[in-house]
Amino acid sequence: MIRPYTMTGGRSGTGLPKFALEALVAATPFGLRTKREFRWEVASIIELTRMETAVVELAALLNVPIGVVRVLIADLFDQGAVTIIDPPSEAIAGDDGHADLLQKVLDGIKSL
Amino acid sequence: MASSPSDQRGPIPVKIVVAGGFGVGKTTFVGAISEIEPLRSEAIITEASVGVDELFADATKTRTTVAMDFGRISLNNGLILYLFGTPGQSRFHFMWNELARGAVGAVVLVDTRRIEACFAAIDFFEQRGTPFVVAINTFDGLRMHDIEEVRSALRLSPGVPIKYCDARVRVDVQGLLVAVAEHALRRAKPAGIGPTETKTNVEMAKSAPPV
Repeated sequence: MIRPYTMTGGRSGTGLPKFALEALVAATPFGLRTKREFRWEVASIIELTRMETAVVELAALLNVPIGVVRVLIADLFDQGAVTIIDPPSEAIAGDDGHADLLQKVLDGIKSL
Repeated sequence: MASSPSDQRGPIPVKIVVAGGFGVGKTTFVGAISEIEPLRSEAIITEASVGVDELFADATKTRTTVAMDFGRISLNNGLILYLFGTPGQSRFHFMWNELARGAVGAVVLVDTRRIEACFAAIDFFEQRGTPFVVAINTFDGLRMHDIEEVRSALRLSPGVPIKYCDARVRVDVQGLLVAVAEHALRRAKPAGIGPTETKTNVEMAKSAPPV
């Protein structure tokens, strides 16, 4: 068991971009090529994100708190090892919602 | 060379929140339709905190862990739908803001034996303007309460959909998610504008009379 503090070098994540819980993380070719140069827990994020994987999934799969995984992802993003696919918008729903996207969501759920 | 998020076309993540009192069946609901076994993730928070990113901010404050369960459904049109169960205990309500931000909408699960357990969720989504539908969980297959009785007990406005659901049954859960998306879609289209108006007669009757 690695203490969360150790994994993030003691950093708390304050001041970093706040990735949404459902934002998707995807390894870049650069990340996959260089993953051996990263610490193992960071390398495992690169490995897990060969397929797009949400921030919250990474936290669960690595069994670390969400705040810790956000710090690690921010580092990887800064180094170009992963890309982040943000969710569409703050205001997908509600009175100014995105009708096109909501229609896609509806169609997708119906065809499950 | 690092690429920015806009360089890449990938799946689009969207989410629906599943709320309700502790033990009402949120994780069961998520598990009934998720393509993965529901996963649990944790955030470390301080008692005085207002958000998960405050973690470690002040070592003198009491730290606690808040857990939430979630599932994932890959839709056939490039969307990945995440279902988030809210932490049930009321002291974690601040986490709901993060969960509700950007959500398509929410399902509020109701156990009619403990109807008051869902009041906090309904208040929250009403105040936030998040589209939500109410699902009466029929644990034992019994429909003990009339839908309109429950609507009135919850003081729901007439436009809020309310349905029965067995949280263990996939097709019930799918029906609820359809209801959330439909409700969100109705809200997204401004009333009375353009040819895409899809309000039903019932809803027309319930909206304010034309000026």
